[in-house]
Amino acid sequence: MPRMAGRTFSLSVNGERVRVSAEPDEPLLWVLRDQLQLTGTKFGCGQGQCGACKVLIDGQPLWSCQVPVESVAGSSEIVTIEGLGQPGNLSPVQAAFARHTAFGCGFCTPSMIVEATALLRDNPRPTRAEIVAAMNGHLCRCAAYPNIIAAIRSVADSDREDEAR
Amino acid sequence: MTLTRRRFLSGLGGTSLVFVFDLSCAPEKAPEPTLLALDGDDEAALIDAAIEAKVDYRGWLAIARDGAVTAHTGRMELGQGLKTVLSNVICQALELPGERVHLVMGDTDLCPDDGPTTGSNATRGVGWRYWVACHAARNHLLDEAARRLRSAREELVYEAGEIYDPSRPGRRLGIGELGPGVRELSAGDLETTAGDLPPYVDRGTPSVEAEAIVTGTKSYAGDLRAGDCLYGGFLLPEYHAQRTELLEIDLAPAENVPGLVKLERIGGTVAAIGRTYTSVQKALAAARPIWKQPPYPPEFDNEQEIRKRSKLVGVLRERGDVERALAASDHVISESYVTQYATPAPIETHTALADVTARSATAWVGTQSPFLARERVARALALPDERVRIVGMPPGGGFGEKAGHNVADRAAVLSSLAGEPVKYVQSRKEHFQAACKYKHSVVIDITTGVSADGEIRARTIDFHQGRGKGTRKLYDIPAVRYRSYRAQIGIGNAIMRGTSYTQTIFALESHTDMVARAVGIDPVELRRRNVLNPPFLPLLDRCAEMLGYPSSERSPGHGQGFGICYHGVHQYGVVGAVVEVDRKSGTIGVVRLCGAFDIGQVMNRNTASMGVRGAMIWGLGYALLEEARFDAHRSHTAAFEDYRVPRFSDVPEIELAFLDNHRPGVPRGCGEVPVPPTIAAICNAVYDATGVRFYTLPMTPARVRAALES
Repeated sequence: MPRMAGRTFSLSVNGERVRVSAEPDEPLLWVLRDQLQLTGTKFGCGQGQCGACKVLIDGQPLWSCQVPVESVAGSSEIVTIEGLGQPGNLSPVQAAFARHTAFGCGFCTPSMIVEATALLRDNPRPTRAEIVAAMNGHLCRCAAYPNIIAAIRSVADSDREDEAR
Repeated sequence: MTLTRRRFLSGLGGTSLVFVFDLSCAPEKAPEPTLLALDGDDEAALIDAAIEAKVDYRGWLAIARDGAVTAHTGRMELGQGLKTVLSNVICQALELPGERVHLVMGDTDLCPDDGPTTGSNATRGVGWRYWVACHAARNHLLDEAARRLRSAREELVYEAGEIYDPSRPGRRLGIGELGPGVRELSAGDLETTAGDLPPYVDRGTPSVEAEAIVTGTKSYAGDLRAGDCLYGGFLLPEYHAQRTELLEIDLAPAENVPGLVKLERIGGTVAAIGRTYTSVQKALAAARPIWKQPPYPPEFDNEQEIRKRSKLVGVLRERGDVERALAASDHVISESYVTQYATPAPIETHTALADVTARSATAWVGTQSPFLARERVARALALPDERVRIVGMPPGGGFGEKAGHNVADRAAVLSSLAGEPVKYVQSRKEHFQAACKYKHSVVIDITTGVSADGEIRARTIDFHQGRGKGTRKLYDIPAVRYRSYRAQIGIGNAIMRGTSYTQTIFALESHTDMVARAVGIDPVELRRRNVLNPPFLPLLDRCAEMLGYPSSERSPGHGQGFGICYHGVHQYGVVGAVVEVDRKSGTIGVVRLCGAFDIGQVMNRNTASMGVRGAMIWGLGYALLEEARFDAHRSHTAAFEDYRVPRFSDVPEIELAFLDNHRPGVPRGCGEVPVPPTIAAICNAVYDATGVRFYTLPMTPARVRAALES
């Protein structure tokens, strides 16, 4: 059997520069999970159809199961759920998801938060329809959808209150 | 290392945990592993049997010397909030802060086997039992404190994990100090205590898992030993596994895949082990297998196949003279309803990590039933049960699918072949296809006789497939005959959120509306006149009120409908729906859902309402979207694009009301009861909007267009 040869790539993940060794077409998802132990990004389908693997690549939410590691080596800035906030130091979106019980089993939640973070950055006051359009590629079988929508709206509303003050 | 469970449990009543390791009699060399076939074709029956058989409530609570309380249960956190409920219950009963309460769930070496986590029985079963057990423990602790303080028991005060005599407030005993003299809880203690309990108060605390979940630090089976173990997988047959065999295979093209470690034929398939998930999948895709083609044509029609093979199994219920009552009725309505094959499709595919040595095996698996997993691993490796440890990991969604079929035994076989730990992560296609088990398609023939003033006089139901669950305690009918038929068609029966009440209630409650229309009585009024159980009446009123029924003005294409359900043990639900039907495209949009439930004490309103809304959306998916497609040869469901599940854009406004009128104060579970009536409510609202009754689910745009055109 052939040994794993792979190549070495330099990545920027959550603001840190790291070196990983993988086949050039290895999906970023598995590099994040197995080489960098960033396991908040989940495998759900490997087909770009469930959204559980989404991370920010240069600010855009993308399916890490569909992105070959080679294509993001070098200058791409990769941000995973671990880069958004940590236990004891939650981002506003994470705190809103926690407050609204915007999850069941929690498996799809990190990627939902990644997507919602990008949405609120580009559109701080999304309407319900805009939230639905932005989030629609994410599946949640527990169907926490109403709570997720409420969580995202609450972040937008609290921004509005801040401004009013 | 193996823990001797009896000794362990006997230590739990005291202060500290007593671990006893027993390494004698270990075999020198592990026997060859066996790839197990899937268990039978009726997984639902298997799970039911496991629930019936397993009640072991000893060894639940351990109080350590530092006063920390550890609870042990074989039940799992599935996203239903069991961890939060247990933590709430123990904190409140023993007056402890959350950080002093620890939960150990699903570890077969540490936890009692209290049955699989299914059928929304966890809150009712484990949650309430813990409320009782904690109060029984309080009584024991007070007895022991009275002895130590030489005070009268009734003089003592229990406060925040400490006990003292108010006449001597300086001397306080922590519950950790009291442990050595406290005896083990017995079933008798629980029974005595259950009769005299203070009320539980839902304080609406946030989920105890919230922080871990939103930061991505909650661990699932696939997250363990990331980068520090091999991956493995199996070749997926081209045809339904039960109908084919591997004739030949050319493995040469697979052998050059980078990272591949081992390829081996085993049990009629091929196992691949590699350094990465991708290497395993690439190797399996590169192999060139030739599968035996099943010897019959691929055409498959659910209803025809089922009717053709259907054989009477038995009479489920018989009462009164049905023929005479039907003949005496003013109207007789006969209909047939057909449900689709459906599948739970959790976002986490079946995943397990196994570490097998010559003398023992440990497997970490996302599961609803760690003890069933242990049995299978032991069987696959020919090891005694006590040499197998399953560490149940919280699944990334289970919905019934991770209760029976699971992959711990397959991961164990891979680890045994590799001689080191192996993680088995099913691909999405494999997850959809390997088990060949679905929530059954059921054909239901139903006939009702009703008087002109809307009194239901007689009813017959023939269930082709399914076991007719869900008919009880709905309507008061003097003459009934319910029969069960089974058809062997080689598709396994899996359990799924909503259980088999789903199919029954869809048919029964769609039919109830047709009976109402036949006699010209409002469907809600007809239900009021015929429901058997009083708890339904306030629920019907409340639900109609929330929905604004009947609406005085109606938008074009809009309709309103209701469905009711009685599930399991005293769970009552009424759901109302408003839909909008676009006649041209055939799409049905659900505009609003209202649910009124009498499910007893709500243990945590945050997790409960999340779960109930989720279950109603599950019902929406079953009514409108979900359908597993296959023919007699193969499954055509390989990806989410083939199996439409509810998305953000399908989700309506949802309003809930929880009533606690019937047996107040005791939780009765809420995970399943919202699913079936939501399906019926949507079907009835569609009828209200279009005047067309749908007898086959799901109501896809193509079916709706076809029905509206004809």
